[in-house]
Amino acid sequence: MAMIDEPLYPIAVLIDELKNEDIQLRLNSIRKLSTIARALGEERTRKELIPFLSENNDDDDEVLLAMAEELGVFIPYVGGVEYGNVLLPPLETLCIVEETCVRDKAVESLCRVGAQMREQDLVEFFIPMLKRLAAGEWFTARVSSCGLFHIAYPSAPEALKTELRTIYGQLCQDDMPMVRRSAATNLGKFAATIEAPHLKVDIMPMFNDLTQDDQDSVRLLAVEGCAALGKLLEPQDCVAHILPVIVSFSQDKSWRVRYMVANQLYELCEAVGPEPTRSDLVPAYVRLLRDNEAEVRIAAAGKVTKFCRILNSELAIQNILPCVKELSTDSSQHVRSALASVIMGMAPILGKDATIEQLLPIFLSLLKDEFPDVRLNIISKLDQVNQVIGIDLLSQSLLPAIVELAEDRHWRVRLAIIEYIPLLASQLGVGFFDDKLGALCMQWLKDKVYSIRDAAANNVKRLAEEFGPEWALQHIVPQVLDMINNPHYLYRMTILQAISLLAPVMGAEITCSNLLPVVINASKDRVPNIKFNVAKVLQSLIPIVDQSVVEKTIRPCLVELSEDPDVDVRFFATQALQSSDQLTMMSS
Amino acid sequence: MLKQFLSKLPRKSGKSDSPELARSNSCTKAGSTPQPHRSNSFNSGSGRPCAPKRTSSAVFPASVVAGIEPLLPFKDVPSSERMNLFVSKVSLCCVTFDFTDPAKNLIEKDVKRQTLLELLDFVSGSVRFSEPAILAMCRMCAVNLFRVFPPNYRSTSSNGGENDDDEPMFDPAWPHLQIVYDVLLKFITSSCLDAKVAKKYIDHSFILRLLDLFDSEDPRERDCLKTILHRVYGKFMVHRPFIRKAISNIFYRFVFETEKHNGIAELLEIFGSIISGFALPLKEEHKIFLWRVLIPLHKPKSLGVYFQQLSFCVSQFIEKEPKLCSTVVGGLLKYWPITNSQKELMFLGELEEILEAINMVEFQKVTVPLFWRIGYCINSFHFQVAERALFFWNNDQIVNLITHNRHVILPIILPALEKNAQNHWNHAVLNLTINVRKMFMEMDDQLFMFCHTHFKEEEAKLSVLAEKRKEAWERLENAASRQPITGNTAVLVTPLATSIAY
Repeated sequence: MAMIDEPLYPIAVLIDELKNEDIQLRLNSIRKLSTIARALGEERTRKELIPFLSENNDDDDEVLLAMAEELGVFIPYVGGVEYGNVLLPPLETLCIVEETCVRDKAVESLCRVGAQMREQDLVEFFIPMLKRLAAGEWFTARVSSCGLFHIAYPSAPEALKTELRTIYGQLCQDDMPMVRRSAATNLGKFAATIEAPHLKVDIMPMFNDLTQDDQDSVRLLAVEGCAALGKLLEPQDCVAHILPVIVSFSQDKSWRVRYMVANQLYELCEAVGPEPTRSDLVPAYVRLLRDNEAEVRIAAAGKVTKFCRILNSELAIQNILPCVKELSTDSSQHVRSALASVIMGMAPILGKDATIEQLLPIFLSLLKDEFPDVRLNIISKLDQVNQVIGIDLLSQSLLPAIVELAEDRHWRVRLAIIEYIPLLASQLGVGFFDDKLGALCMQWLKDKVYSIRDAAANNVKRLAEEFGPEWALQHIVPQVLDMINNPHYLYRMTILQAISLLAPVMGAEITCSNLLPVVINASKDRVPNIKFNVAKVLQSLIPIVDQSVVEKTIRPCLVELSEDPDVDVRFFATQALQSSDQLTMMSS
Repeated sequence: MLKQFLSKLPRKSGKSDSPELARSNSCTKAGSTPQPHRSNSFNSGSGRPCAPKRTSSAVFPASVVAGIEPLLPFKDVPSSERMNLFVSKVSLCCVTFDFTDPAKNLIEKDVKRQTLLELLDFVSGSVRFSEPAILAMCRMCAVNLFRVFPPNYRSTSSNGGENDDDEPMFDPAWPHLQIVYDVLLKFITSSCLDAKVAKKYIDHSFILRLLDLFDSEDPRERDCLKTILHRVYGKFMVHRPFIRKAISNIFYRFVFETEKHNGIAELLEIFGSIISGFALPLKEEHKIFLWRVLIPLHKPKSLGVYFQQLSFCVSQFIEKEPKLCSTVVGGLLKYWPITNSQKELMFLGELEEILEAINMVEFQKVTVPLFWRIGYCINSFHFQVAERALFFWNNDQIVNLITHNRHVILPIILPALEKNAQNHWNHAVLNLTINVRKMFMEMDDQLFMFCHTHFKEEEAKLSVLAEKRKEAWERLENAASRQPITGNTAVLVTPLATSIAY
């Protein structure tokens, strides 16, 4: 403990490091700010470290970014919340720098710090800082300020509140579109903290200004916020003030704005309630579903189920279903794909009859789509429709679709369908699976692509879990084990992988009687890669099987492998032996 | 007369059953331009036989468009009536057509084309434009030109337009657009257009929408826009500050928000000539533009697309005000690319150009950070970067600067040279390095030997220093772990843990 007496100058270490030419060293030292602060103690951190940081903000953006992040969680190091305000000056300067990432992070950290600060400190320190930023000469300060109002506002006394609202109103009309964009982005957050009477009087005019901005980019952000704003208002106010805006936006000449509306419409429906939705928003939504621009249709199609859930089934059948039919043959594959990913959810809403009559033909046509994503999306949500009409009506079309996907020339498509096989198996039942899909699962184990073989091995395990060991012993294990004689070592390796996955599911008995002999046999393979994989598999089997089997069968095999000419085989065999020793020790 | 022609324009209420009709012309036009399909799909399945023809039969109802009929030629009316006829013809050109289907409305399209050509001819003439004529012209240009561009799928995957293989997108409506642009250009440059009256219609909003068009994918369109905006800037003195501000805003958005814009090069080209027209001494406002806009424009990764224009703007500033050199060099060093060697080459090129024009005082303000950076470049594994940096010593002007400041520069550069001489993989770089080293030796043998010895000593100390640094941090951590956190927060919050929790 001689070190305690040694003089230590943490600040000196930091200063020294921050002067280094190597940016990595500077970054490292900033990342260790908390260490320095702890070594200094709270008081010296407040009086020495923080002022030092406030003055040294002329570094690379990367270093500044790290500093902004660190300071956000610095409250414990300066002595707790009552000293939180000392963190404001360095963060304030970081709010003004040019680089957007740094500013954003500084704002985030200020919000974190501000959220913990005491009310009187917010009034005394935070709000004056906010006002300084909002009046900043350069736009970066004003942009940053917009993201801080929601932290400050609730703690402000009445007069200050009025002032804050006025300032925000000015920011919404700022000369620079950058500032107006930031104000539009943060309007929802700020509005959430404002009392209801002021909401209508003060915030709505700001919102209206922003929605009529001459810059596309500002209007766009205003739409984004309108759902959040709508939820804050009373439903009737929302109908009166937000609804007309959104309806007119849904016909905006910019497709970006319409796209935004399509994305937000559902949230807005929630805000206005079912009645106005039916009368006003359904037409707007239908318009978006039939938009000229594929991007807009994609966004609208993706919300079709959610939207129908708000309507009654009659309205959905009457208004939305015709559009859905059109979309199912849309010229853009991405629109069809978006539709396919949600359309199955419509079945419970429409009920059995309508589903069979109206939806089923659409499902079937999408299942035959030439674009694999569309088919996959349908298959992935099969369980939703199964609950309503049973799967029998679909199974006829399902099988060709699955087979085709299983043999698709793109391995990512094959991979995707493998992921759904356990789901399909559970929905379709053992009988169907045995007849049609079993062979496919075996075929994948011999795929040309490693990822597919890997997924296939995993799939075999999941099937065994689904249908139980008894079934697996009959329908999977023999075929899998058969393939251990494949002339290509990579396929033999897949089988070893499958065995190691199957063993825990099958239990000790079947493992010893059926799986283990195959593995032991493989230890005499001529390819070293197989041999060291045998060692790895054996290691994984040790905890599953009985101790006597380990002694009698596994260990002798591993001992033999540990004397193999190949270095890797020896390595993994030795490793397996060691782990077996440890297990023995632990159990004894 | 005017009324009669206006009545032939498409009304917003065609068939009430097609919702698209409710949108304005400019919108439907944009919507009907072909949509580029994403290229990375599994099978490029676009041409589905069963796909509905949704393009625009509902958007351009034939009955409305069919109403367009040619008007009398200008020569057939008395000159007193010509301005009225002009207004009528201009109004006729407010009809827009769907160009995605080349077979559609062939006759009508030709009528409009002919009319536009007549207008072009007329605008080049010498009749003073009446106020209604100016209004009609601005309206016609707005209806035809101001449209929203369709989504661009290519740039989502490509790196901001740096791929030269990318075919530029061509607007199928170009045959009409081009003439409209020509008419607008002639109109604005015409001596018969009174700027005092026209500024009411070619107003801020008109200019803003004109600027929006610079994002067009079609290089031909951007070229037209460039010429037109240039002329607008020249003719409408009142709008000059506004135009500069509006363009700056586009640059800000590009640099700080989106990094996507197709027309940066063209806008910079306009600025190039604006800057060369600045009066001396430079106003503070313009210097701020250099510092706040032009320098940050070096940051986006698509710099290559507009680098030439940008460096021209910068060099214009330096030519006007040599005292800005150190500011510019400082800015370049601030935005120096770390991983992008292509950009680094551009930076080195720009730097060399500046150094050729820099005076001694300015040079000495930036010598140290500048040569640290050059040192890094010399050590770059990208041989072009290293080569480019070493080529500085082939430039007499720069060598002259270096010679005068060798006492500062050599200690910084020598380690880099030695490092290269020991183990740079590229032969050309190796040879250049050795040449530069020789130059320094010949320049001042004594200084070289001194620096060399010093360098060797430092190098020997390097591992000791690293060891010391590690020790210092270890002691610090040790001390920190012994300090309890008192304060009100009982739990020690490590930065990592909280950032995950959020």
